[in-house]
Amino acid sequence: MENFTNDTIDTTQLPKFEEVVFSALHPNYWIVTLINLFVMVFVLATALGFLLFFNEDLLEYKYKIIVAAAIFCFVIFVFSRIAFVKKGFAFRNHDVLFRSGVIATNTIVIPYNRIQHVALHIGLVSGYFGLAKIEIFTAGGSSSDIQIPGIEKEQAENIKQLLMGKIQKQL
Amino acid sequence: METNFTKPQRQSPIGIVVMFFDTLQQYARALFPLIAIWIFKFDEINKGWLALGTLVVFAGIAVIAWLRYRNFTFFLDHQNEEFVITEGIFNKTKTTIQLGKIQQVNVKQSLLQRIIGVHALEVDTAGSQDNEVSIKAIGHHLALELKSRLLENERILPNYSESDQNEFAVPDEQPFLSIGILSLLKVGITSNYLRSFGLLLAFFVTVYDYAIRLSNNGIFNEDELINYFDANFMMQFIGILLVILFLVIITINVVRIVVKYFNYQISKQSGSLLLSFGLFNTKSTIIKPEKVQVVSVTQNFFQKKLDILELKIKQASSGEKEERKQAIDIPGCNNLEHNEILKLLFGEIPEKGVMLKPNFRKLGFAVFLSIVLPLCVYYLVAFNVELRFLDFQYLALVYSVFAGLILYFSFRNNRLFINDRFIIKQSGAWDIENEIIEPKRIQAITTSQLFWHKSLNIGSVTLHTAGGNVAFQLGNFEKIKHYANLWLYEMETSDSNWM
Repeated sequence: MENFTNDTIDTTQLPKFEEVVFSALHPNYWIVTLINLFVMVFVLATALGFLLFFNEDLLEYKYKIIVAAAIFCFVIFVFSRIAFVKKGFAFRNHDVLFRSGVIATNTIVIPYNRIQHVALHIGLVSGYFGLAKIEIFTAGGSSSDIQIPGIEKEQAENIKQLLMGKIQKQL
Repeated sequence: METNFTKPQRQSPIGIVVMFFDTLQQYARALFPLIAIWIFKFDEINKGWLALGTLVVFAGIAVIAWLRYRNFTFFLDHQNEEFVITEGIFNKTKTTIQLGKIQQVNVKQSLLQRIIGVHALEVDTAGSQDNEVSIKAIGHHLALELKSRLLENERILPNYSESDQNEFAVPDEQPFLSIGILSLLKVGITSNYLRSFGLLLAFFVTVYDYAIRLSNNGIFNEDELINYFDANFMMQFIGILLVILFLVIITINVVRIVVKYFNYQISKQSGSLLLSFGLFNTKSTIIKPEKVQVVSVTQNFFQKKLDILELKIKQASSGEKEERKQAIDIPGCNNLEHNEILKLLFGEIPEKGVMLKPNFRKLGFAVFLSIVLPLCVYYLVAFNVELRFLDFQYLALVYSVFAGLILYFSFRNNRLFINDRFIIKQSGAWDIENEIIEPKRIQAITTSQLFWHKSLNIGSVTLHTAGGNVAFQLGNFEKIKHYANLWLYEMETSDSNWM
């Protein structure tokens, strides 16, 4: 009983999530993103090619179409780059933070004692570059689940172990 | 005989058959348009190639099924008390579930599984997915054993051991609240205009459509029908029609509400609330205060005058998916009863604390999105495509005024109230809704800010709970962040008794 204290908390002195320094994603993940983008653009370009081949009326507008496609590719490229640069994660003592977004900056904070389970994904391309993705599930619906891509496999495994350990402690 | 689940295990080898049909179904669904074309052009296609193609596709699916079988393993990690599942051919996924988090394990059998004599085992946690894990082919004995192993830890948690068996037990007390027919009438008259109007509109459109189709069959002529009414008569007719429409809406509403909620009784039973209602088939539900996530209180101007309000309660439930999504309605209780219920659920009546207001830009953006943009499209189409559309300009004006009023009132009512124990979000234009949540029920917090709002210091926050999200947009971001830190502190220092 003697050790029991119940001091008033100064809420202005609480740790601030907005001041946390985020770790960036692994640089290789940008290459993975580019490869995925390239595959997508390639598929779309093939489809467009077929369309032009079978519908000769459209050939009249071919320069406009090419310009539009180029602008489209450029915008996607820029947005992907912004999204990549903005993505970041941080693990504090009691919670995990993930930042993302292109136009807006979204920061989601999940306390460890609210995590339900964790999954580790290794994709074909990202696996080749030694990267994995961690997905964290909560009971708050799919909007409160987070996926942290672009983490080195070993580190991802460690993070998963850390998370599982943290969950266990809360039980 | 104890089976050793600690080593990674595959499913029953016969499970390849299940995998085969599962994969086949997936691909068939994805490639449905292509298959449909083939079927229509059946006669034109070279039969030999078709047979060969089909054979190749089936062989491919068989290989995929085999690979899926090979790569699917599961095991129990006793040291860490985890259930670990690995799956995937090219994209590998390893799912780890803490045994203590498992809420339900279902052993099921589909027709196919019955034929080849295997079972499916599904593991469900409170997480958002329907089933976190589903093992598609496992022997019956093994399934039951795995199930019991998975649920070994469950008894530790008092919440889960007390199952829903007493759901339909007879209440031991007199109902402490019953909603009479008068209250239901009041609710019927004052609520859901829009929904009933939508239903009626759909009905009239169908009838009109039917009449036109009859006219095409030569029974009567559409032009005649329209010319039959001259303009003056038309105005009177529309006036009368509106009155009739209004009466019909109210009648339908009243009937619907009385049928649905007839004889609504709430009784207390060992700290829980027991509800039963319904005219033709009586529904019973149980509300456990410790599982309540979000309570929303809705009241409009008329209802305020008549002293009735509507309560909606969202619980965290480990039951079926539909059940999880549904909120429990308590229509038409008065202020006193509403206080009683809230006291039972929260232990006190939630008070509104510090008020946060949205920035005026929220109104501006809403006006832009639902008035300026549609009007621009309308005039663009009207001037470029069909000038006759301009005849309906008065409709555009009516719409703008109506939408503007709704947006203005939604903006004025949009507030976030925060005190030590409760967060209350107020919203709505006509029906004013107050969503009440406790900080300890929050699962995660998202803050969001557009880059051009940084210097203005405004931003949004979304509180994720097991009963849905509560979001507040474009408030003072400094304050929002301050409260987010406070809530995180509360969540992280309290034990995880959110359900």
